[in-house]
Amino acid sequence: MSTNPSPPAGSSAAPAPPPPPQKDTFTVLFDGKPVEVPKNMNLIEAARLAGIEIPHFCFHPRLSVVGQCRMCLVEIEGIPKIQAACTTPLKDGLSVKTTTDKVKACRAANMEFLLINHPLDCPICDQAGECTLQDNSFGYGDQLSNYDEAKRQYPTFDRTMIGPHVIADMTRCIQCTRCIRFTHEIAGTGELTFLDRGGRTLVWTHAGQALDNPWSACAADVCPVGALTVREFRFRSRVWYLEKTPSLCPGGNVGCNLSIESKDSVVYRFLPRLNPEVNDYWLCDYGRFMSESLNDRDIHKATVREGTSVSDAIVPLAVERVAREIRATIETTGPSGVFFLGSAHLSNEENFLLRQVADHLACANRDAVVDKVEGGRQCRIKAQKEWVEGDEEAPNHRGAKDMGMSPAAGGYGLDAVLSGKAAPEVIVVADADFSRLANDPQTVAALRKARFLAVAGRNANALTRAADVVLPAASMAEREGTFTNVQGRVQRFQRAFLPKPPIRPVLELVAMLGRMLGYGDGSQTPPGVLEQIATEIPAYSNIRPDELEGGRLLRKGDFIWGGVL
Amino acid sequence: MTHTRYRIEEAGEPKKFPPEAMARIEKILKRYPTKQAALLPVLWVAQETWGWISKEAGEEVARILGLAPSHVDGVLTFYTMYNLRPVGRHLLQICTSISCHLAGAERLIEHCGRRLGIGLEETTKDGKFTMVEVECIAGCDRAPSMMVNDAYHEPVDEKKLDSLIDRLSAEA
Amino acid sequence: MEPVLTRRVGKPNSHAIDGYLEDGGYASVKKIFSESWTPERVADEVKKAGLRGRGGAGFPTGVKWGFIPKDTKGKPVYLLCNADESEPGTFKDRLLMERDPHQLVEGMILSAYAIKCRTAYIYIRGEFYDGARILDRAIEEAYAKGFLGENILGSGYSLDLYVHRGAGAYICGEETGLIESLEGKRGQPRIKPPFPAVSGVFAAPTIVNNVETLCCVPHIINRGAEWFAKIGRNEKNTGPKLYCISGHVNRPGVYEAAMGLQLKDLIFGEAYARGMRGGKAVKAVIPGGASANMLTAAEIEDCPLDFDGVAAKGSMLGSAAIIVMNEDTCIVDAARNLSKFFSHESCGQCTPCREGTPWLYKVLDRIESGEGRMEDIALLERICNQMANGMTICVFADAAIAPPLSSVLKFRDEYRHHVEHRRCLVGPRAGARAELAAV
Repeated sequence: MSTNPSPPAGSSAAPAPPPPPQKDTFTVLFDGKPVEVPKNMNLIEAARLAGIEIPHFCFHPRLSVVGQCRMCLVEIEGIPKIQAACTTPLKDGLSVKTTTDKVKACRAANMEFLLINHPLDCPICDQAGECTLQDNSFGYGDQLSNYDEAKRQYPTFDRTMIGPHVIADMTRCIQCTRCIRFTHEIAGTGELTFLDRGGRTLVWTHAGQALDNPWSACAADVCPVGALTVREFRFRSRVWYLEKTPSLCPGGNVGCNLSIESKDSVVYRFLPRLNPEVNDYWLCDYGRFMSESLNDRDIHKATVREGTSVSDAIVPLAVERVAREIRATIETTGPSGVFFLGSAHLSNEENFLLRQVADHLACANRDAVVDKVEGGRQCRIKAQKEWVEGDEEAPNHRGAKDMGMSPAAGGYGLDAVLSGKAAPEVIVVADADFSRLANDPQTVAALRKARFLAVAGRNANALTRAADVVLPAASMAEREGTFTNVQGRVQRFQRAFLPKPPIRPVLELVAMLGRMLGYGDGSQTPPGVLEQIATEIPAYSNIRPDELEGGRLLRKGDFIWGGVL
Repeated sequence: MTHTRYRIEEAGEPKKFPPEAMARIEKILKRYPTKQAALLPVLWVAQETWGWISKEAGEEVARILGLAPSHVDGVLTFYTMYNLRPVGRHLLQICTSISCHLAGAERLIEHCGRRLGIGLEETTKDGKFTMVEVECIAGCDRAPSMMVNDAYHEPVDEKKLDSLIDRLSAEA
Repeated sequence: MEPVLTRRVGKPNSHAIDGYLEDGGYASVKKIFSESWTPERVADEVKKAGLRGRGGAGFPTGVKWGFIPKDTKGKPVYLLCNADESEPGTFKDRLLMERDPHQLVEGMILSAYAIKCRTAYIYIRGEFYDGARILDRAIEEAYAKGFLGENILGSGYSLDLYVHRGAGAYICGEETGLIESLEGKRGQPRIKPPFPAVSGVFAAPTIVNNVETLCCVPHIINRGAEWFAKIGRNEKNTGPKLYCISGHVNRPGVYEAAMGLQLKDLIFGEAYARGMRGGKAVKAVIPGGASANMLTAAEIEDCPLDFDGVAAKGSMLGSAAIIVMNEDTCIVDAARNLSKFFSHESCGQCTPCREGTPWLYKVLDRIESGEGRMEDIALLERICNQMANGMTICVFADAAIAPPLSSVLKFRDEYRHHVEHRRCLVGPRAGARAELAAV
């Protein structure tokens, strides 16, 4: 008996074949090489899929396409005139030529036009080394100038603040309008415009208005030349000396991806890292200019207070002192006499290990608090598809809570300590900068009621001055770890440079303390702890690499770049 | 090289359109599907009201049309006919494009400048005359062609220019 | 040829509707509605007439109208009259609007009907104060008589027409620059595609036509496409044409003739410009406005003034603005003046034009004032050749290079003389040595 289904009685035709699946890409040929390109991609981006660089200035994937700079001219088969790649619509079978003599001549011509009025400022211009004009001139232009006329200048618009964070040197401007489009299309504040026309065209603000929005320095980011530069970075370093380290914003719970740009263990600036789902290409000014704060440090070594005198101590001995005090209290009063305070500024790994130590001691008293964003500051940023809204002034409150830094059953939290309901004998504060409360006299007084107060920190404050033991903690630039942002995304930040001994990451200090209290061998590392987190906390059991390392390094002004400087 | 239009002068006080001007603006708005499209006509109403368009007038126009002040600035400075500072009672616009140039427009400008004691883009001290050069105003068959405010005077020569200035100076 | 477009110019009160009606005005509007013409039939008639745009490009009008998509997806269609006449040497649209405004209004009603347009604008340059006032009044009169507004002549077709004044920018004569300006922005031309017929003003299908082009339409409807097509040199260059002539001729002005009038006739004809002032010789002629390549005196022989005729001479009819320069004209000085115009009027968006037009002016200025070098002549050519042919967003750059490139090509010796002798070859400054600071 046949098991094949037979056509219904009476029908003579075979069933119609299913329609072919509609592909969502076009086949585009670049210099003969076919590439599958997503239908909504710009031709300049598509060329990169084929490993081909089409030089450009005004194109940016998040800004409207204007086709003004004319650098991206290519030959399209079937069209006699040269075409701008950025405004050429994709279609199946499009054939692009980027290496013909005509293309080379047009690129050289365009570079010549751009350079005839451009000041030879490279020796004094911050943009050198990350300047698209330099790169395209070197790659596609002629070496010598044939221009013998007076250059167009904007003398009263040079070396002038155009906003609180951006300096304008408009004589360098190549009128690409990226900055104008940024203020209108991304920031929505529209401060910038063209004034006048023709060769006299100038980019500026409405008189009396400043380029002053929460993301104003991004206008300097997108500027392909040194016409708009960041004031805080002016003349501080040549960019080719800076190392780029993937990291995260320390100032908010949006978790914007950025790179720490550092040299000789000093942080010089933050630049955004591309993460289309978090901060896209952008950084807010508040977070960006926290870069300086990573260099702040008052606490360089461990100290121990005896009575009124404070003396330096070796870190292991200081930690041993903390362990002794904890053991003593546990033996006499029990775990209820110890309180652990984690921090929204500490990583998931650090909060987790601290909680593990507390669990090991059967201590249910632990907490982490965070300051809310206040003063009308906007902690939000435009991701590719929507705005991401933050509300906390620290990057990892959600992570700290996920790791268990909340009172367990029968335990008490910080509010109980501050109100006096609970009176711990030993308090361990893993981050002395855990909140503005650390400088609040009433908070410090409440914490100081404990017999023994130990903190780890970087900057001196009322809390560190009141503590019995102060341990030197590494900054965010000096350690690695993960934070969990407002979206629940777990993201890694990496270490830019080693801390200067005896400064250590809080993770190491907690591991040391744990070992002395009989938990672990003190050799825990962030990746190892993260693995442990994955096995013990269900929500963290399956963190994909593209979530953990979702951000990609950017070169200032460029829209995608993954190389090493 | 040429005169730039980077600076829109301040009037020193906020500007509000008088009722008749607002009535005209309301009618203008009805002609277009977007408020932004009314910008050029509304700027003309501002210029007709105050003789020139100050920073404050531009801001008021921006407010009425719901536009960014920077956008209004971009338009004000792109088009040459909007006066960005006060001009004399009689704006002398002398064409220097090719047909008028062939007919001696530059000599006319020199003569006019000498007669009034001003250069291009400048205003006489008594506030009566401002002299500017303009590009082709479509008076080529009556070259040299010029406009005074909204009226053509063509063809004009040094004698005609002198009597024109005499006549306008004598006006109260 | 009997005047068609200018038949009413010179009549007293030629701008008022009563006289216009007496002279048969608006007959074509009454005709299409009483004979129930479909929009397609009107468009077809214009196509058969072979009407080509009189703004400068010479594109077949009926074909342009046909670019509007059949399905406009609910978007209205707009007709924009390009009355931004700013091409140096051109003054025909000014004449038509100031002297016979109703002819334009009538032409717009027919054209708007043909493309199923509900709202039309006349974008008139700011300097035409009189023209705008006259058109405003004419439009009021047309509304009052029922030729504009709701349900025109009971046809069910409604049209609103408004005058929109520019404010001083030549680039707003470029159709997408005009559209941007109408939308209340800087008049910076748009990337094409999309073309205006698909997505123009307010992102809706838009047709932009020149004043003279639209003025032809009532006559095509009244007297038929065949009649129109018979006028002119051949079937590709049809209809009556207005020619503007200025420069060193005896009688500059606007002259109407059948398309294809010989350039020599226009310059020397008794009915036209009546020859050169003072009996001077022709040195150079620009046949189509500042954007057209110069022609030498020899090249004006057998030059029919129509699109194909002038193109065959290596130039263009453009806006039919003929500028005649006599033997005392320093060509370098003329080229310098024209390059100053283009550097003033460049919108500044795109690199080659923004940087190239002032560069051309600066080099020409230097050569003209006696500080040129031999290399500058080749430099001018090189700058021109790297500005056009797709390098820019619009063809302003292609226009801007016409004066320097054509003058260097055809008057190279004059340039050489300027460099070697630091003064003009001919003209008032030929005798004196140009002043220099230092050699």
